[in-house]
Amino acid sequence: MTTTSMKNQNNGSLTRRQFVVSSAMASGGLALGFHFPAAAQSNELSNLGGNEINAWVVVRPDDSCVIRIARAEMGQGTHTGLAQLVVEELECDWAKVSLQTFTPGQNLARKRIWRNMSTGGSRGIRESHEYVRQGGAAARIMLLQAAAAEWKVPFSEITVEKGVVTHAASGQTTSYGKLASQASKLTAPDPKSITLKHPKDWKISGKSPRRLDTAPKVNGSLKYAIDTVLPGMQYAAIKACPVFGGKLVSFDASKISSRRGIKAVVRVDDQSVAVLADSFWRAKSALEVLPINWDFGANAKESSATIAERLREGLTSTNNVFADIDQGNVTEAIQGASKKVEAVYGTQFVSHACMEPMNCTARVTADRAEVWVPSQNAEASLAALAAVTGLPLEKCEAYNPTLGGGFGRRGGTQDYVRQAALIAKQFPGTPIKLIWTREEDMTQDYFRPIGQCRLVAGIDAKGEMVGLHLRVSGQSINAYVSPHNIVDGKDRRQLQGYWKEPGESQLGYTIPNLKIEYAMRNTHVPVGPWRGVNTNQNAIYLECFIDEVAKAADKDPLTFRRNLIKNHPKHLDVLDAVADKGGWDKPLAPGMFRGIAQFMGYGSYTAAIAEVSIKGNDVKVHRLILATNCGHAVNPVQIASQIEGSVAYGMDSLQSESSVKDGRIVEKNFDTYPIARLYQMPKIESVIAPTYDFWGGVGEPTICVVAPAILNAIAAARGGKPVRMLPLKTEGLKLV
Amino acid sequence: MNLRRRFLWALGLGWGATPALFAQHVLQEQLLQPYVGVNAVQKGRVKLEIARLADNGFNVPLKVSVASPMTAQDHVRRLLLLSNRNPRSLMAGFEFGPSSDQVLISTRVRLGGSQTVYALAQTSDGLWWLDTAEVEVTESACLDQT
Repeated sequence: MTTTSMKNQNNGSLTRRQFVVSSAMASGGLALGFHFPAAAQSNELSNLGGNEINAWVVVRPDDSCVIRIARAEMGQGTHTGLAQLVVEELECDWAKVSLQTFTPGQNLARKRIWRNMSTGGSRGIRESHEYVRQGGAAARIMLLQAAAAEWKVPFSEITVEKGVVTHAASGQTTSYGKLASQASKLTAPDPKSITLKHPKDWKISGKSPRRLDTAPKVNGSLKYAIDTVLPGMQYAAIKACPVFGGKLVSFDASKISSRRGIKAVVRVDDQSVAVLADSFWRAKSALEVLPINWDFGANAKESSATIAERLREGLTSTNNVFADIDQGNVTEAIQGASKKVEAVYGTQFVSHACMEPMNCTARVTADRAEVWVPSQNAEASLAALAAVTGLPLEKCEAYNPTLGGGFGRRGGTQDYVRQAALIAKQFPGTPIKLIWTREEDMTQDYFRPIGQCRLVAGIDAKGEMVGLHLRVSGQSINAYVSPHNIVDGKDRRQLQGYWKEPGESQLGYTIPNLKIEYAMRNTHVPVGPWRGVNTNQNAIYLECFIDEVAKAADKDPLTFRRNLIKNHPKHLDVLDAVADKGGWDKPLAPGMFRGIAQFMGYGSYTAAIAEVSIKGNDVKVHRLILATNCGHAVNPVQIASQIEGSVAYGMDSLQSESSVKDGRIVEKNFDTYPIARLYQMPKIESVIAPTYDFWGGVGEPTICVVAPAILNAIAAARGGKPVRMLPLKTEGLKLV
Repeated sequence: MNLRRRFLWALGLGWGATPALFAQHVLQEQLLQPYVGVNAVQKGRVKLEIARLADNGFNVPLKVSVASPMTAQDHVRRLLLLSNRNPRSLMAGFEFGPSSDQVLISTRVRLGGSQTVYALAQTSDGLWWLDTAEVEVTESACLDQT
């Protein structure tokens, strides 16, 4: 069982079990709709029988309110959280709220009135809270103005609660449903004239009403993109060259063309071939036996060993290295220190392993192209479709239902959309449903980048860290996906979490002589953002090393950190919160060991304590305590859920690896690529400590402290012997 | 990104004191000043056509035309394509004279991320004309602002 405690606010303490029970009751007792646009030939968004007050709010005659949300839902709860923010200002009845999503074509047709649809970087709420709240507030003002006009009373005398509008002096009352038609004709108020509520006055936000999308998940009615069925649809199975950068030379379609149900075998692009059939199974089975001639190219010589060697070179090289922070004199400080600590850490490629594999259904004709796709950025899917088909954006459309996981895989990288569109283009008018097998999904990913890190620290006679030299050597995501973000050859993203600037991913420690460097060492393996991106690896490097230094200085890891972090009160407060909740100063049962870690990412401050025992090579994680200050806590139960999910993800990254042999990925399925299992999950306690003076992210920040807290506990259990190379099996260890 | 945000970005204040992580958007006045000096710039005559979304920034198609009779007395002198985010803001420059039949450019440009593209033309009377278009480069959207 999981418990959540909420600091600074006494609500939101709800156990997982209570949550499930209350959700089940709610879904049984209340009719809540979720409106998803079906394929349409027009870019007009339905008002669902109501009146559109503004882009965000539709009010129906029965007082029910439809809230429109731009961001993609993949389980993280952003639909509910954003709706809470709109409803907070709208002042309608939460029990009568439903959601409506829309397409990127509809967004474009209205000049991107809903702005960014991209869902990543833990930005859903922290980037759009202001304009969605303004949308809710503007709609409320218009509805109340309509009442004032009808009753001929001053606007200021009108009040509203749960969509019921009252003029106390005259005793008149009405409801949003009755005012909607008139309100929809009014001019929207100037956003500058709108004052948003202070969080202390929140009624819906800051609380944990049940999610708006639970019922269709529980009763099975929710349709994912992989459930798409269209008349006359054909299924496609695809195989890209297993060696990245290799080419498709030829294939012998005659060997499979007589198999039952096979419609076609097609070259998709330079590196992939697809089989089309009347069922996915037939397409996939035929593809497995299709003779394919590949040109693997020079990358076939690459392996985990050659890649590791390249990264090792970067640890000490003077070539292609940049220092993001270089203050004091690190070399002198370390040379003059009474003790020197040195270590090299390594993190591996990992796969996103979304439960719903990559898939996309496409229908392309001479003048229209459509895709049904799980996407973290439906506008990116639309743009990819337009690019492949050559049709203008107005003639393309992307339908984007709830995603079966995203984790960064389905953000900007729309390779699977391009493939589906390229196939569908060859069969005008026939819907083509492309599904990647799990094997394709795990071997053709945009992996979390591989890296190594060399750290050298000097400790003075008092046991204080006087110098730290940290160098990351590894692959760059920007170099692969967005080279324009590398400014003057400096890719700062790879140093996420070590930045000096406040606000986003700031280093919490103050060290008088400090040098932070990055040596870009790219490989042939495609890389991309993986939930938490570089904070994950960077937190492991630094936080595990800090424990090594603390041990060398003969200091308690918490005390040592508190001393280093004292100039950054928000980092310190979260560290203290986790130490307090985790009872750091209290003795543990025999055989149990603790580890602690803190880090900042995505605008939020996080810290964790892990409690671990080891028997032989078996590592059991018993308990994890995680604290976060995400600024504003819009839905504490959802935040706790994200924290729990981040524990699973953090544990995945301890035990799984996408290794390279003969230029290709070795691990193809869950038999060799273990993700966190139920029996491995520890008891999780979360401390949500919002300070309400900034807006931080939630989906990613806590992942990065999970692995280092567990690793530090493992080191403690091994008498101080750290695990420096991941995954755990490198040291012969396994999670049980 | 709205104007206020872009303004804050340019000042390095967006995101509550944003780290200067990535190339920042340049303010319109700063972008145009090297070409137009203190002269006024007006909307009109120039028509810039570019898709609102681009799946990547490597080669983004665009079309620019400038309405002009192209006579000795009244013609377009130059046309500049500017980026408010690329490391080099001048993406392309074209010179014209009265013997040019018309001003119609169709080309591809490289865009370093989501930004505003500027088409700036000077006519023979010395006046400056401008059209702008915002382009969202979607491929890196996940990575752009974190």
